[in-house]
Amino acid sequence: MEKRIAGLALLLALAVSPVHAQDEPAVEEFQGLDREVQALKDEVLDLNRDLFLLEEELLFPANSQVAFFLSVDVGEFFALDSVSLKIDGKEVTNYLYTEREVDALHRGGVHRLHMANLEVGEHELTAVFDGKGPHARDYRRGATMKFTKSLGAKYVELQITDRAAKQQPEFVIREWE
Amino acid sequence: MLALLPFALHAADAGAAEGPVTIEDAPYGEVLFHFYQQDYFSAIVRLLAARERDRLPHHDAEAELLLGALYLSYGQHLEAAQIFERLLAGNASPEVRARTWFFLAKIRYQRGYPEEAQQALALIGEALPASLEPERRLLEAQLLMETGRFDEAARLLGEWQGSPEWMTYARYNLGVALARAGRVTEAAAILDALGRLEGRDEERLAIRDKANLALGYALLREGEAGAARDPLQRIRLSGPFSNKALLGLGWADAELGAYDRALVPWLELAKRNLLDPAVQESLLAVPYAMAQLDATSQAVDHYHRAIEAFHAEAGRIDATIEQIAGGALLDKFLAGDPGHAAGWYWKLEALPEGVEARYLYHLLATHEFQEALKNYRDLRFLARNLEDWRESIDVFGHMLETRRLGYAERLPRVEEALSRADVQGLVDRKLELDARLNGIEAEHDALALATADEFRLWGEIAMLERSPALAADLPEAEEARRKIRLLKGVLQWQLEKEFKARLWTLRRALRDTGEALVETHRARRSVEHAMRTEPEVLAGFARRVAALGPRIDALLARVDRAALRHRAHLETIAIAELEQQKERIETYTVQARFALAALYDRSAAAGGAP
Repeated sequence: MEKRIAGLALLLALAVSPVHAQDEPAVEEFQGLDREVQALKDEVLDLNRDLFLLEEELLFPANSQVAFFLSVDVGEFFALDSVSLKIDGKEVTNYLYTEREVDALHRGGVHRLHMANLEVGEHELTAVFDGKGPHARDYRRGATMKFTKSLGAKYVELQITDRAAKQQPEFVIREWE
Repeated sequence: MLALLPFALHAADAGAAEGPVTIEDAPYGEVLFHFYQQDYFSAIVRLLAARERDRLPHHDAEAELLLGALYLSYGQHLEAAQIFERLLAGNASPEVRARTWFFLAKIRYQRGYPEEAQQALALIGEALPASLEPERRLLEAQLLMETGRFDEAARLLGEWQGSPEWMTYARYNLGVALARAGRVTEAAAILDALGRLEGRDEERLAIRDKANLALGYALLREGEAGAARDPLQRIRLSGPFSNKALLGLGWADAELGAYDRALVPWLELAKRNLLDPAVQESLLAVPYAMAQLDATSQAVDHYHRAIEAFHAEAGRIDATIEQIAGGALLDKFLAGDPGHAAGWYWKLEALPEGVEARYLYHLLATHEFQEALKNYRDLRFLARNLEDWRESIDVFGHMLETRRLGYAERLPRVEEALSRADVQGLVDRKLELDARLNGIEAEHDALALATADEFRLWGEIAMLERSPALAADLPEAEEARRKIRLLKGVLQWQLEKEFKARLWTLRRALRDTGEALVETHRARRSVEHAMRTEPEVLAGFARRVAALGPRIDALLARVDRAALRHRAHLETIAIAELEQQKERIETYTVQARFALAALYDRSAAAGGAP
């Protein structure tokens, strides 16, 4: 009888929920450690901000900096595969997109595709994208544009859009100063 | 603590984006690009950097809200709360306000700050989207239950007609809470209904099993063994709760004196994996039942086997504790880690391989361990990040040195080239040409714009005109004079015809030259400026590099120390759990020995060996 009750008591201690009741000191310890982690994350993020800016300004001074961005604005889903860029006839990047990245682009994210240092004056940009459109149709489209680099950082946005012709994705390029 | 909240709410759906956002600043779009991939660390860094350089003029308010959501996703709810409080004290829309407070409440609850969670819940207001309302109710009810306010929780759930799925979870939580509080009759009504749920999907079946288990055990605790059998028998034989069900069923029969019936589930249970405490208990329960049925020798056999099994198990636990204390097990946990910071929503999905790892399956069900593990993971990511930057800083230092040397080498050559170039002289010449062209236009001097051939021809004609032979009064001379007049006329006409076009061409050429000269002048000034300021620019960079290096080192040291502390905390939790398991094994072993001794005594008293 005693043993039975002891056994029952033991097993009932397991009953209902697999979770142990948390004791106060353990909770306090966790909260203390948690606050410590948050503080460290804060400082590391601030430091990363400063390092990120230093790196950018060191490698790409504003006067020669040109940043190339890619965005997507299509009605039907367009599975982007890759984008390649040529500046003044020389290939500078051939970027392969993961599914995750494509999804982020479709949700409105903008990808910084390439950064370059260019002399003041006229340059030529050629961009080509590959992908699969609706009904698994393969697409390859390109666009060429001349642009002028003056002093100060320049942004060039390449947008894959089907606004002009529905379900026909095309490149639209615009510049930002 | 946290019973059941079936849906994870991702930050990507929660606060930040309320529909399509028109990106007017590319850097803002770049932040979103990382945000949507749940790479919160990168997103935050880019957002902070863009704000530092005022690159988000069109997205000021949204950027602040996005930053709050990012901090939240990255587990920095203190920082996020500060931002939200600032923002929400401003003029954010009620919908945004409601969503962010709800999300804040949830994360505070998960992280073990129930009072702060209550505060946030109270600030949600009426504007929460309908899709989030069920979870809000559930959270509110959960907080009430945890502070023992069951009646209020029941009323809250009773008043609300949510979707069937949410109601099921809510009612289960309530039933369990009531059972724990000893209000078994009320609990039974709720849990019995849940235990009879129809349905085929795993979630429904799991809830059914859990409800039946909770009910069965609550009834057993109340001494109602007969009533406990029904719900326990409804539990799936091959589901995650079957072990506990089998154990409970056996005890119910044992309570009713039906030991032969009790053996059926217990013998089945005794064949299963010894990691489960229910199985461990069955190793004692089986010989106990046999002893009750006077099958003494079999009972003795089983007790011996149980003692051996427990001994082996205790050995395995010891080995595991050693592994944990040595640090190897945690490394295994994190071996499958993708490496990039996935923030607060990362969960360890699958156990690593190895006998030892399976002991900790209990641990992984607890939020305490999961949250502590996430923090430890985050710290390791921070350490890797800082180590990478430390290498980069060295590279920057070398780059600056190279640039400085390059500058020192180029400077004399550039100065020399600048001194040689006589830009002003060229400008003067251009102005002179401008003046001459003005004169030509004013005088309509078509001849001034003649080609070399035309000019030569004109000269020849002029020479011929002056020739004395031409003045002779002869028919041949007259013919010659006529031809010369004709030639001259043609040439004049030609010059006239081309005058405007040539004038325009020259003007344009001069204008282009003028523009080129302006550009040259500007470029020259730019080069002079660059050469003058380059030392200052380099010095500025050098200062920044010099300041950032020690910051990296200092932070890295702190992160490493924190990681060690977190690791120790995790090891402590894990070892405590295992010690508890070992204690249970030892208790069972002692019980087995006592029972065995009692059996031997009984046999001796009956006059023979068992």
